[in-house]
Amino acid sequence: MNLIHGELVSNEEAHAFLLRLNETMAELLARPTLPREAVIAACATLADSIQVETHASLLQAFGIELQKAQTEISEAKLQLSSAYLSERIRVELGDDHQRAFIPLGEENLVHLQTAPLGVVLHITAGNADALPVYSVLDGLLTENINLVKLPRDDNGLSILLLMELMRIEPRIAERVFVFDLPSSDSESLNRLADASDGIVVWGGDEAVLAARSLAKPGIRLIEWGHKTSFAYLSGDTVEEPVLESLAQNICQTEQLLCNSCQGVYLDTDRVDYVVAFSERFLGVLDRVSADYPRKDDLFVGAKRKIELYTRELENTDGSIQVFQTGRAAVIACRSSELSPSLQFRVPWVKPLPRNQILEQLRPFRGHLQTCALSCDAASRTELEQLLIRAGVVRITNPAQMSHAYCGQPHDGEYSLRRLQKIISMES
Amino acid sequence: MFQKIRLFAGKDPYVDRDGTYLSQLRENVSFHMQHCEPYSELLRVRGFHPEQLQSQYDVSRLPPLTTLYFKRNRLLSIPERKLFLRATSSGTSGNKSQIGFDLPSFLLGIAMAARLFAYHHVISLRPVHYIMLGYEPSRQSDLGAMKSAYGSTFFAPALSRTYALKATKFGYEPNPEGVKSALLKFAKAGVPVRLVGFPGYLMLLLRELEKDGVCLNLNKHSRIMLGGGWKQFTGEAVTPEQMHQLVEKLLGIPKERVHEFFSAAEHPLAYCKCKNGHFHVPAYSRVIIRDTVTMSPLPYGQPGLLNFVSPLVKSMPLVSVMTDDVAVLHTGESCGCGIQTPYFQLLGRAGAQGIQTCSATAAELAKGSGKA
Repeated sequence: MNLIHGELVSNEEAHAFLLRLNETMAELLARPTLPREAVIAACATLADSIQVETHASLLQAFGIELQKAQTEISEAKLQLSSAYLSERIRVELGDDHQRAFIPLGEENLVHLQTAPLGVVLHITAGNADALPVYSVLDGLLTENINLVKLPRDDNGLSILLLMELMRIEPRIAERVFVFDLPSSDSESLNRLADASDGIVVWGGDEAVLAARSLAKPGIRLIEWGHKTSFAYLSGDTVEEPVLESLAQNICQTEQLLCNSCQGVYLDTDRVDYVVAFSERFLGVLDRVSADYPRKDDLFVGAKRKIELYTRELENTDGSIQVFQTGRAAVIACRSSELSPSLQFRVPWVKPLPRNQILEQLRPFRGHLQTCALSCDAASRTELEQLLIRAGVVRITNPAQMSHAYCGQPHDGEYSLRRLQKIISMES
Repeated sequence: MFQKIRLFAGKDPYVDRDGTYLSQLRENVSFHMQHCEPYSELLRVRGFHPEQLQSQYDVSRLPPLTTLYFKRNRLLSIPERKLFLRATSSGTSGNKSQIGFDLPSFLLGIAMAARLFAYHHVISLRPVHYIMLGYEPSRQSDLGAMKSAYGSTFFAPALSRTYALKATKFGYEPNPEGVKSALLKFAKAGVPVRLVGFPGYLMLLLRELEKDGVCLNLNKHSRIMLGGGWKQFTGEAVTPEQMHQLVEKLLGIPKERVHEFFSAAEHPLAYCKCKNGHFHVPAYSRVIIRDTVTMSPLPYGQPGLLNFVSPLVKSMPLVSVMTDDVAVLHTGESCGCGIQTPYFQLLGRAGAQGIQTCSATAAELAKGSGKA
C-alpha cells in the first residue's frame, strides 16, 4: 500500500499523486518546516507506547521470530527515546554551523545556519525490519520532506509504524509520503527523483548504481550500500575470550550484517599457523554454536554442506582446507584476498601479514566497514593506521563488532549531517 | 546400446532391472572417466574406481557432483561441437548451469519420457489446446524448463499454444488476458485443454479466475501438467490438496488428471507423481539421501541431501548429481499405489528462508576491487 497525506491509497491513486508531485512539493515547502522537537516528542510517545510484552507477538504476525522481535522492540524503544534522539542531534549535527563571525581579512559579519536539503527520496531495502522508518526518521530530524520507496516484499510493518507516528503528530502526514511501487516502474521513480533534493539509497551495488543513474548532477546522493567486516588478530597467542566473542558474533548475526565477522585475518604469512588456528577456532565456534540453536538447522546445515562440498570438489590445488562439525565450519585459506563468508557460521581464516594490509585490502575500500582488532599494545597504533588507510571505517574489539552506540557514525559519516546543507548569510 | 535402451525405455519404467542398471552405470562412469579428465581426477583423489560398483549398496560410493558445481564449472565428455542441444538451469539468482546433450542421450531421454508418460496415461492422440503457464520459446532464452514444457506439448497433438509469458520484440510480457479469454473460449467450445507449467503460475491463474468470479467446466479430457517449485513465484505456500480443490472448483479438472513432474537441468530425467502423490524412482535411476554433515547414505525415513544417480547422459558427467533439495526416501510398499520402487518426498530447498542481509556479496567485492 501507499501512504499519502496520511491515508492508505491504491497504486492508481499514487500514480495520480505523482503526476503533480513537483507542484505539491513546492506547496509543502512554502509552509513552515516541522520542528525537530515535535518529531522527537512524537517518537518518544511512540517509544513509551510500545512494550516488549505486548508488541512482540504483533511483530510475529509480520513473520519476525519471537526472540528477534523482543530484541528489536527494546532497541526501537531506546532509539526512539527523547534522550537518544537529542543526543544524536548533539553529536551528529553539533552547533559548528550555527554561528556568526567575521571571516579572516573581512570586515562584515557572516551568519552561518543549517537548512534541510528540502525533499529527500529514500530508496529503502529489506536489510532490516522497519528500515524505512529509521531512514525517514533521519529525514524528519533534519526537517526534510520525505518520499519513500518501499523495498520489494515489504511486510507492511513500516507503514504501520509511520501511521502511528502520524496519529501522534498529524503534521508528519504532510512530511512523509510512502510509495509501494516496483523498481521496474521507472517512470514513477524518475518523478520521485526529479522532485527530490537528495536521494538516500539502501541496498546492494545494483540498487546503488540504479540510484546513481536516477540522481541528476547536483542532487546529493547518500549511499548506504552493502559492507564487509572481519577480525584481524596479531600477536603470539590469541586468548580464548577473543575467539569466544568472535564466535558469538558469528552465531548471533549469522554473518548477515554489514558489521558481522566474515572471517579472521592472522598477522602471519605461515599457512600452517592458519590451519592450526582454524582447527582451534572451529572447536570454540562449535561450542558457542550450541548456545544458539536454529529451528531450520536441517536446511541451513544442508546448504552449508552443499557449499563446502562444492568448494572441496573445486579445490584441486589445495588452496583451502575445510574443518566442519554439525553446527559450524571454518575454511582455512592460503590466499589473503578478502571474500564474504558462506554465512550461517562458516567463517574463513586467512594469512595477512601487516606489511600486506594496504595492498590486499585497499582494492575493497568501497565495501570495508568494521575490523575487530586484537593485538599487543606495541602494535596497536601501527595496525590501526594501516587498516584505516586501507579503507576500514570502524575499529572495535571482538565483543563489540555488531554493537551500535548512540551517535555512532554510519559507514564513516554522520547520516544526519548528509541531510542538511550549510547556508552562508552575508550582509 | 541395446542394454541402455532396454533400461531407459523398457515398457514398465518401475520394474527393477538391477543388473542392467549397475552394468550401465559402470559403463557410463568409465566413459566419463576416460573422456573427461577433471572428472576422472575428482573421482581418483576420492579413491573411487568404477569396478567398485558391484551391488546396489555400492551406488552411494560414487562421489556426487553438486548442481552448484555445474553452475560454476563446465565438464564435457564429448567435444563441444558434438553437442546437439543446450539448456540453461532456471536459477532464480546468480550462476546458471549450462547443460549440453549429445544426440543419442537426447533421443534416449525422449524415449524415456515417452515411456514414463505413457505409463501415467499422459500420452494421447486426442488433439488438445495448450495453455503454457510459462515462457514462450524464443531466441532470447534457452531455459531448460521452457524446453521441457514445450517438449511436453508433443504428448498430445497440439491445436494451439497460448503462453502466459509472450515473447515480444522487447522481451517477455505477461499475457493474463490472453490466457483467460482462451480458457473461456475452450470451455465454451467444449474442447480438451492441457495446462502446462509451474505450480506457482497455475496458482496465480487460479487466483485471477477466483477474483473474476469465473468457474469453468473444461472438457473431461483436459489435463494439467505441472513441474517446478511451489513457493518460488507466489510466495504463498499452498498445499497440493488446496490446489487440487481450487482446480476442480474453477476449471472442472479432477485430481486424477493433474500430473506433477520433477526434473532438473543438471538431472534431466523425469519423475512423475503416482496416484497417491509420490515421486517413485524409475528403474534407470537411484536416489540416495545423504547426511548433511558426513554425506553418508541415510536409511529410509531420514531427511537429508537429495542425490540422484543415473547413467543417461554421455555428453557431461551428470551421472551422480546432488541437488539443492532436502528430501526423504520411503519404501515403495509404504505408498500403496502398486509401484514397488522407493519414492522421494521433497521437504524444501537447502538454506534459510527470507534472509535479510546488508553484507557485501562475493560479486560485489569482486566488482569493487576490479577483479570481476
